[in-house]
Amino acid sequence: MQPMRSHEGLLIGEHFLLGDYAAAEGAIMAGCRFFAGYPITPATEVAERMSTRLPQVGGIYIQMEDELASMNAILGASWSGAKSMTATSGPGFSLMMENLGLGIMLETPCVLVNVQRGGPSTGLPTLVGQQDMMQARWGSHGDYEIIALSPNSPQELFDLTIRAFNLAEKFRIPVLVMTDAEVGHMTERVIIPPPEEIELIQRPLVRKGDVDPDHFRIYRDPESGDDGDVSPMAIAGEGFRFHVTGLTHDERGYPAMNAEASEWNIKRLVKKIRLHRDEIIQLEERHLEDAEIIVVSYGISARTSLWPIEQAQKEGIRIGYLRLITVWPFPEERIRALAKNIRAFVVPEINDGQILREVERCAAGQAQVIGVNRLGGDILEPQQVLSALRAAAGKPDTAEADMS
Amino acid sequence: MAGRDITDERQFELSGTESFGESDWITGLHPMDVLLRGERLPHIWCQGCGLGTALTTFIGALQWLEKNQGWDLDKVSVVSGIGCTGRIAGYIRLDSFHTTHGRAIPFATGLKLANPELKVVVISGDGDIAGIGGNHFIHAARRNLDITVICVNNFNYGMTGGQVGPTTPHAARAVTTQYGNFEYPFNLPYLAAASGASFLARWTVIHARRLEWTLREAMMYPGYSFVEVIAPCSTSYARWNPEGRGLDPEKLRRRGLELMKHYQAIGKVAHGTHPKDAAIKVNKEGAIIEIVEGVFSDEPKPDFQTAIDEQVQIAKGRWQATQKALSERSQIPKRTDIIRRTEVQLGGFGGQGIVSAGRIIGQAATIYDKLEACFTQSYGPEARGGAAGSQVVIASDPIHHPHLIEPTNAIIMSQEAYAKYVPKLATGATLLIDDGLVTLPEERRQDLKTYGIPATQIAEELGNSRAANTVMLGLWTAIIGAVSKSAMQRSVADAVPPKTVEVNLNAFEAGFNKGLHDQGSNAV
Repeated sequence: MQPMRSHEGLLIGEHFLLGDYAAAEGAIMAGCRFFAGYPITPATEVAERMSTRLPQVGGIYIQMEDELASMNAILGASWSGAKSMTATSGPGFSLMMENLGLGIMLETPCVLVNVQRGGPSTGLPTLVGQQDMMQARWGSHGDYEIIALSPNSPQELFDLTIRAFNLAEKFRIPVLVMTDAEVGHMTERVIIPPPEEIELIQRPLVRKGDVDPDHFRIYRDPESGDDGDVSPMAIAGEGFRFHVTGLTHDERGYPAMNAEASEWNIKRLVKKIRLHRDEIIQLEERHLEDAEIIVVSYGISARTSLWPIEQAQKEGIRIGYLRLITVWPFPEERIRALAKNIRAFVVPEINDGQILREVERCAAGQAQVIGVNRLGGDILEPQQVLSALRAAAGKPDTAEADMS
Repeated sequence: MAGRDITDERQFELSGTESFGESDWITGLHPMDVLLRGERLPHIWCQGCGLGTALTTFIGALQWLEKNQGWDLDKVSVVSGIGCTGRIAGYIRLDSFHTTHGRAIPFATGLKLANPELKVVVISGDGDIAGIGGNHFIHAARRNLDITVICVNNFNYGMTGGQVGPTTPHAARAVTTQYGNFEYPFNLPYLAAASGASFLARWTVIHARRLEWTLREAMMYPGYSFVEVIAPCSTSYARWNPEGRGLDPEKLRRRGLELMKHYQAIGKVAHGTHPKDAAIKVNKEGAIIEIVEGVFSDEPKPDFQTAIDEQVQIAKGRWQATQKALSERSQIPKRTDIIRRTEVQLGGFGGQGIVSAGRIIGQAATIYDKLEACFTQSYGPEARGGAAGSQVVIASDPIHHPHLIEPTNAIIMSQEAYAKYVPKLATGATLLIDDGLVTLPEERRQDLKTYGIPATQIAEELGNSRAANTVMLGLWTAIIGAVSKSAMQRSVADAVPPKTVEVNLNAFEAGFNKGLHDQGSNAV
């Protein structure tokens, strides 16, 4: 839809920007020109910003009848060649699971922002949660790999939304930006560089005349072919007359109802991510070298752990910090390696221990894994995290903290 | 609409030649083969099913459009959902999408909106479109997006074995209504009409030629067009119901044919029928006794795409204004002194600009003074009942914890906010109140440094009571000193409506001067 990259209408410079707005600006900078959504607190501001800004850059904003439709509409738009996005929160995320699966199966680049609120069900519409982290991984039925990023500030909501589009395009997959009500509803400085300084990745694409439509294969084995691991995509209207289906399919996209086809299909879907884990996984690491305790966290919980960590370090506890900027795929090897040399992992998160399970799985009994949890509604209190750090180090939880 | 028959006339024009493609006597290719994925045949449909005819007429209409209207079929996309009809997407040699159950229409919506050059046709069954996808069906009709929706209705869920569906006639039998359907079905054209669809038609597959003409017309129609195609389900529906019962159950394919004959006998062509009168009639046993057919309505409505294009023009104009304002944003030297974590609580009632005031402080700190600031506001039940609260954290260093832990100062503009926020302030904090609205209680915290200003009164005197929050900001700037005066002035000017910049800057100045005067002495 957008063959030329136009800079008209792009917001640049320094802005005091709401997190949700930053996600919208990141999307627009990444070349997103189609947004379909449904109002839901605390993600509504993403849609509101898109409804104002997309027409200014020649894009399309549409409010659909529900989140089922929103997710489908962005898939359809992607098959017309548009970079597309939707944004939602818990209840809408549940509805989107059906067609997130379709997006994965059809190998459709698109981005889904989940501004998480407390659940289950209607839960806490206005208040924070990180309770959809496992749903992000396993929420749609069947076997697949997914990519999920976790920003901790409006600036990162901007940056990671661009990265989400790049990963979506590169790997032909829906990418999840798993933020939360705290970051989404926070206003901070966001620095938007000029577009020339932002690297954008476009999907592998065959255009009219590139390939004889009779010999075009919309899905290929990830380990065959010279173009890399991800099959080039065709878009509607270019004369390839391709077929895609949510059914298990063969390389032409035709239904193939047997065990061999299923194995071929699923292996491709998982391999294209697993083979590129190192490229996809982004971590922020501090003081891991001589740590006895490592805090593993993500998003707002990682950010609010920084003060307790500094405090505990002052008390002589050797604490490292590992922030999952990419949550899925999970950095299994990194956690496994670290587990050998430390006493404990501490995992602060606003849920009943979701990423904790992943850390436990990878630590495999070699290090203790301690959760610090708040069950939605508010961010973690610094004191609560500090107490957990002291406990993990076997120190008494005494000194009243001084924030200054 | 009743009795109108101009459609027949148009159908005559659209009828054209009946022979489209070139058959090849050497290869034995059928003229329609170019639009079929031959490698996928034979299809999965049962003998006696009406879907073959539905597909044939659809292909015939496409080939006619290609030949007579110059359509480039590379630009046609077919989208279907799940079910027997949904498989058409897999047999037709066009860009084709076999999506999830009920979701063909929203998928098509995205496809069409992102590339308006495409002609997008949704073809799916009654369960898919009117059952699980019913919500999408009515909303697409409401939008009048230029797509064609073809719903092949066989009165039941055929693929899963003949369960009752949203179109199963009352009293008819299905696998899951063995005692007769106790519900009533949708009249689909009426549903679409009530939802705003502008082109509505129905044919049975026995009226194949008429159906094909209508499909041409529907696809050419500029707006949402809906065609219901009644097709026999020889395996499931016909097994249980009077129209199909009584036939030799051994002869499945006959059953479909007999059902088609039945449709032919009871079909009543009546173009222009009001959709409400187009319900499919059944007798007490649930046997279908009349199917009204024809083009019921074709009243053009404003096109969705045109409306979107108009919006783009307005939006681009607005962008020019935004860009101009941003380019005129002035710069001041970066602050070099160290600001320790300063936590500001703002509280008042809705309409006082408590949220804007917090944002103005944050914008001044970050954009102009180049400090770090994190602004949050109260949502949810906490923000109801007229109470408004917002919070800002300011510091030279990155702000790890975004919430107030020990608020070092507060701007309070209502008694309710005083009661709510003052107890939470840090020991020795600075409290700024609109003392025209807030009365300090007899028993109060003695550790606080409290400053008062009749902000609302001052703002009224300046000619705009809404500038009261700006008076408070002036006072705050002078007393607290965490953000520079010039940064605050610029931020105020950015935030308020252009016509009120002057009065707000005057309000700010009034507050600031009072602050300078009171500084060092506890005024209250």
